[in-house]
Amino acid sequence: MDDVLETTINTLAVGGLYALIALGYTLVYGILRFINFAHSDVVAWGGWLALSIAGVFGWTAAGGAPAIAVPVVLVLTMAVCAAMGVTIERLAYRPLRKAPRLNVLITAIGVSLLLQNVGILDGVFGNKPDTIRPLLANSVLGEVGAVQLRLYDLMTIAVTIALVVGLERLVYGTRMGRAMRAVSHDERTAALMGIDVNRVITVTFAIGSALAAAGGILFALRNDLRLTADASWVLLGLKAFVAAVVGGIGNVRGAAAGALLIAFVEVFVHRYVGAVFADKPWVSQLQDIYVFGILILVLLFKPSGLLGKAAVEKV
Amino acid sequence: MTGASSGAGHPALETRALSLSFGGLKAVSEFSLAVPVGGLCGLIGPNGAGKTTVFNLLTGVYRPDEGEVLLGGVRVDGRKPSYIARCGMARTFQNIRLFGELSVLDNVMTAGGVRTRSGLFRTLLRTPLHVAEERALAERALALLDVLGIAHRRDEQAKSLPYGDQRRLEIARALATEPRVLLLDEPVAGMNTQEKRAMRALIQSLREQFGVSILLIEHDMGLVMEICEQITVIDHGVTIARGAPAQIQNDPAVIEAYLGVPDDAAAAAGPEGAA
Amino acid sequence: MSDRAGKTLSERVGALRPNPVVNTGLSLAPFVVAFALAMVVDTVVGPLVGATWTEILLDVGIAILLAGSLNVVNGYAGQFSLGHAGFMLLGGYAAAWLTFYGSMKFFGTWEPVGGFLGSGQLLFLGGCMLGGLVAAVFGVVVGLPSLRLRGDYLAIVTLGFGEIARVLGQITARQPKNVEQVAERSWWDLADNLGGAEGFSQIPNYTRLFFVYLFVFILLILAYRLKYSSKGRALLAVRENEIAAEAMGIDTTRAKVSAFVMSAFFAGIGGALYAHRVGVLKPTELGFQKSIDLVIIVVIGGMGSITGVVLGAAILVILPELFREFSEYRMIAYALALVAVMLLRPQGIMGVKELWETSWWRKGVARLRGGKRGGA
Repeated sequence: MDDVLETTINTLAVGGLYALIALGYTLVYGILRFINFAHSDVVAWGGWLALSIAGVFGWTAAGGAPAIAVPVVLVLTMAVCAAMGVTIERLAYRPLRKAPRLNVLITAIGVSLLLQNVGILDGVFGNKPDTIRPLLANSVLGEVGAVQLRLYDLMTIAVTIALVVGLERLVYGTRMGRAMRAVSHDERTAALMGIDVNRVITVTFAIGSALAAAGGILFALRNDLRLTADASWVLLGLKAFVAAVVGGIGNVRGAAAGALLIAFVEVFVHRYVGAVFADKPWVSQLQDIYVFGILILVLLFKPSGLLGKAAVEKV
Repeated sequence: MTGASSGAGHPALETRALSLSFGGLKAVSEFSLAVPVGGLCGLIGPNGAGKTTVFNLLTGVYRPDEGEVLLGGVRVDGRKPSYIARCGMARTFQNIRLFGELSVLDNVMTAGGVRTRSGLFRTLLRTPLHVAEERALAERALALLDVLGIAHRRDEQAKSLPYGDQRRLEIARALATEPRVLLLDEPVAGMNTQEKRAMRALIQSLREQFGVSILLIEHDMGLVMEICEQITVIDHGVTIARGAPAQIQNDPAVIEAYLGVPDDAAAAAGPEGAA
Repeated sequence: MSDRAGKTLSERVGALRPNPVVNTGLSLAPFVVAFALAMVVDTVVGPLVGATWTEILLDVGIAILLAGSLNVVNGYAGQFSLGHAGFMLLGGYAAAWLTFYGSMKFFGTWEPVGGFLGSGQLLFLGGCMLGGLVAAVFGVVVGLPSLRLRGDYLAIVTLGFGEIARVLGQITARQPKNVEQVAERSWWDLADNLGGAEGFSQIPNYTRLFFVYLFVFILLILAYRLKYSSKGRALLAVRENEIAAEAMGIDTTRAKVSAFVMSAFFAGIGGALYAHRVGVLKPTELGFQKSIDLVIIVVIGGMGSITGVVLGAAILVILPELFREFSEYRMIAYALALVAVMLLRPQGIMGVKELWETSWWRKGVARLRGGKRGGA
């Protein structure tokens, strides 16, 4: 029983991380209908920028960070990444608004490569792994049975819930949210109705990138900061993207649901399938196969995703 | 495919009580129609009456909830559009759907290509059959462009053609599939009087020249009344009248469907306004 | 129906049959030329340009083969696949399995044996064919269900497939590396021993200019023949307007799957050549990033243009080689160039046109002819 509880907490923490990143994919896809391949690099930059910002405050020394460090770094990094996302959209994507989507996709890949390779320059983040883990004391808040409730996990879950609920409020409860949904539904008509489409897209990129930064920091608080050009960021992005697609891309609740499902197969199923086949070591490496297997199954049987609506082309 | 011989004695195209709903909305209900071999029939109705939906049912884009579609006496409903097309049903589209980046000639050759017998291996090896078929395709495509009067534009990109020529190209492309039944979706929409007259003569000549039976959707009442032998009128998916042009013109149900009840403010939207 | 336009296709075919002897010659001649040209590249061009450029030419050829095969499905049929490296990986594994274990069993060594088209090279050619076939079979398996999806969704499913192929490669068993161990096990038994995450190593180094360019020229001939035929036009029609293509009698699913399979076949061969060039087949090297690289070549070259893809492959392989010493900034320049090309020339270098269809080529030819006439 303890084991189940621990795995559940793990699932929620990983799922929250995926949800934060998946929301960025889903928001951009919902409005511009293209896969923003540079999103995973904004996540990576989020992690590294957090390190730089913590460095400015002198919080990088081991054990030297006050309790306020994480919230401050989180907010500042989210702001910087929001500005970064908006800049990328302005310079690289906006000129291609009318171009075929494959072109935008290739441009996104170009931006992705740019961020990866600028990040590893000496003057930027450098080409040695680092860590921001000292920012958060590895404290245990309490115990349920033999299970430790770790600060990190609870914080991830809390931050995710706060941001997802906030986003949900924004999309369904404000004028800007209504404009976003209108542009997502039909950009041209929305423009005719007096909605400033460019502003909507700017806000979308700002929000998506800020969430990506939060995802990057939470990921980096648990793992080493790998180089910005490291393939692990791409894989993290891919999984979050899979979550967005599985949930129904373009759908905020779908992204959260998809993220939980992906985290469930990756952590929960993996844990217990691994336990059953303990004698076969290769079973422990099947995590990614579960994830991409779910993706393929969902797309084949419900191409619009679990919570998505099918778009029908009028003949 | 079904040979032409199996069509003997049957109408070229027949539907029996076709019905289709989208969600709770009945788009087409109990639609029955017969186009005799060599016939030219019209399907009319106000905007949103379900005419194009009928075409989509006939060609297999939509699957009917109930009812049958018979092509030369053989059932084709529930089949894929490509299968139905190879059985001999060709169509044009109201919102023109050409292969825009391809040349005019290639558009027609592409459609004719479905009548070739050589597969991928014959193609890659350039066997005599394949070579002969490609020559025949080009020859026939040029002849078709000639008939439609757009042979001089053969090398232009389809998307760069003027609107009227795009409609002509759609017809040439449909004829290239060697159909027995040709479905024309608003062939003169957006044309001026002179172009309309030319198109009318063309549609009439197609029957003898290619031995096709024609069903057409059109908003232009003048054209429909002049060239169709039989007209079916639908409104809200329901057939409200059927008969020769003279009969239809005086049918009270048709007049009501188009003009609304006399005190209706929408009376201004006549058949021309709907086009 | 006796009149000119009314005559059907089958009524016309009889009169248009070509002379069978001449036609057979025309059908086969390009392949003979391809063989001869590949020989020339191998024996004349290779030594002429030296060792470094021979290596680059090998890479260019393999890139042409892979991007050219992707072009059939991505350029002609407009179906956006992000899992092409997966087929490359499958082909590479199948070929490496045959040549490595074959060499161990038959020749008692993993190193290349035999001369030109000798037993070692024939085993390698068999490996290439096997690689192509295995990839093609998986092309059917992946293509049949997924090609019903459109646009981005197809891209995502193929991406998922490519990643699964990579992970499966990573969990294969260790590779026995001495002759006795190999000899006592059956072929089938060894099918799982593909080296795992460390990669399949000691793949005999058979790839040379002759084989690479032989397959490149064959692919180019077939891609050309396909493009200018009914089957190819059907693919282009699917790309242009799927609904209209289906309405004109083109079985779009079938057309897409056959394009996908042909594409996978050549990707498998490309993977085999790649494996026998690098010697170590690492699943992580043939993941998502490699698929992206191939898509980039096709888009930069011009989707659907055969000559465009050749140019794109050459440029994207050679340019980074030239800037090798600026390795830190090389990728940054590449990324910027990519964005710049998409902004300034979104249709790629050639668009959908072939070299001989462009206006400047035609003008050049006309000037040459005019010049000759003037001189004569």
